[in-house]
Amino acid sequence: MTRETMPAGSSAQAASAPRIDIRGLDKTFDTKSGQVHALSDVNLSIEDGEFVAIVGPSGCGKTTLLRILAGLETATDGQIVLSSSREAQVGMVFQRSVLLPWRTVLDNVLLPIELSHKPSAADRQSAVELLALVGLQDFVKKYPNELSGGMQQRVAICRALIHDPEVLLMDEPFGALDAMSRDALNLETNRIWRETGKTALLITHSIPEAVFLSQRVIVMGPRPGRVLDIIEIPFGTDRRLELLSTPEFAQLTGRIRKYFEKEEQADA
Amino acid sequence: MPDTVKRLHTQAVTGQPDSRERARRRIRGLSLPLGFLVVLLLAWQFAPSLLSVPSYILPELSAVLTALTDPDALPRYLYNAGYTLFEAGVGLAIGASAGVVIGILLAEIKVLYNTFYPYIVAIQSIPKVALAPLFVIWFGFGIESKVVVVVLLTFFPVLVNTINGMRSVDPEQIDLFRVNGATVWQTRRKLMLPASLPYIFTGLEIAVVMAMLGAIVAEFVGAQNGLGVLILQAQFQMQTAAVFALLIILSTIGISLNLLVRLVRRKVVFWMPTK
Repeated sequence: MTRETMPAGSSAQAASAPRIDIRGLDKTFDTKSGQVHALSDVNLSIEDGEFVAIVGPSGCGKTTLLRILAGLETATDGQIVLSSSREAQVGMVFQRSVLLPWRTVLDNVLLPIELSHKPSAADRQSAVELLALVGLQDFVKKYPNELSGGMQQRVAICRALIHDPEVLLMDEPFGALDAMSRDALNLETNRIWRETGKTALLITHSIPEAVFLSQRVIVMGPRPGRVLDIIEIPFGTDRRLELLSTPEFAQLTGRIRKYFEKEEQADA
Repeated sequence: MPDTVKRLHTQAVTGQPDSRERARRRIRGLSLPLGFLVVLLLAWQFAPSLLSVPSYILPELSAVLTALTDPDALPRYLYNAGYTLFEAGVGLAIGASAGVVIGILLAEIKVLYNTFYPYIVAIQSIPKVALAPLFVIWFGFGIESKVVVVVLLTFFPVLVNTINGMRSVDPEQIDLFRVNGATVWQTRRKLMLPASLPYIFTGLEIAVVMAMLGAIVAEFVGAQNGLGVLILQAQFQMQTAAVFALLIILSTIGISLNLLVRLVRRKVVFWMPTK
């Protein structure tokens, strides 16, 4: 498999080329109980600045797909092209905040910078600005264990954005939070996406979360992990909580839910 | 009443009880164990004569205190205590640093781990103080044989805890470093080592106890100086009060060292709540 970086602007097509282009992606894991076909012939392109959500039951390979994009796994077959003009390609938000407890909030946010060079005053300034963007300006000098779960995940989002990546990958980032914090963070994610213009890929098992945040929902199914459908979400970019109670919203979530009901019947 | 109101007010603002309130709670928590100590000391003073226990079996407290503060003996006690402390300190420094360094190597290099870990587990279950006579034969009656025993006793708990610490680093934290393109050395220095610190300190707490134990036992086996030697001398002369006086010095050193390690732990591993 190839995971390559195409320098943007190096060819005539680059300007119109998608930010992420996945072609014929295949992944099998060798486990003690035999081979597991995690991903089968996944094709997907994501445009620059687009917000795409992937939903699917556990075992549909959605996390594997994200980990391949992040460079944490290698695909068995297929091709991924990330067109990027710079080194810093992806920022990642994990299921848990994974903050380092011995570092202050500010130093946690600066970690990705520190791993490439000594943080400058400007880097510090942008970390503080990012923290202010998520309402944590008063917690810059605190340690992670002084923060609530929702606040910790906000810090993790800032950390994923500090090196100004072109793609933001999120792996069920709010799954561990209570419903109230989840709503609040969904609103903030929408706002951050609008303000930064990042290309965003969100993995979630919450259908409403996927519909609320994204412009396209990729529905995946298990055994083997594959794309079942791609659904366009026609609500503008500025999303409000009121959207959750509109009939259009209910209709879209219902349409996606049907896929999983079928899966369950197939299982039974 | 106004005082209570003020205190309630500060609590509401800081979300924490103020320092005076905390001190008061601390004293209340200490009152039971301290009360027990007083009862114990009173019993020690009066029970031997009431039950007519001879003083060579259990001298009364005042006799022990007299022996402890005897102006002829005290300088000798302190000199020898320093001697034992020095042996334990040097051995601990060598044993613990070797434990951390070799622990990191074993955790990082698979071949080393696979080769040596079974032996480390096996050696863990051997009572290593039994080797003290052998070390006295090899290294003589001087300070060297004591240091070697202490090194041996302190090395293993630090080693095993360092290995456990390095191997129990959260895989998601390692993913975080990989996603951000960290080098192997950056991951070691900025993640593995700090994440192992709580484990290393657990090893150190055990090692400090082992260090004093090793030094004293090695002195029992054969030495010219140290608290172990003085305890044996007092025993030969049936000076039970002096034995107790030396045990008090020994306990004081042991408790102080333990408190010191815990204090350093709380400063270094500040993010872990203390038990």
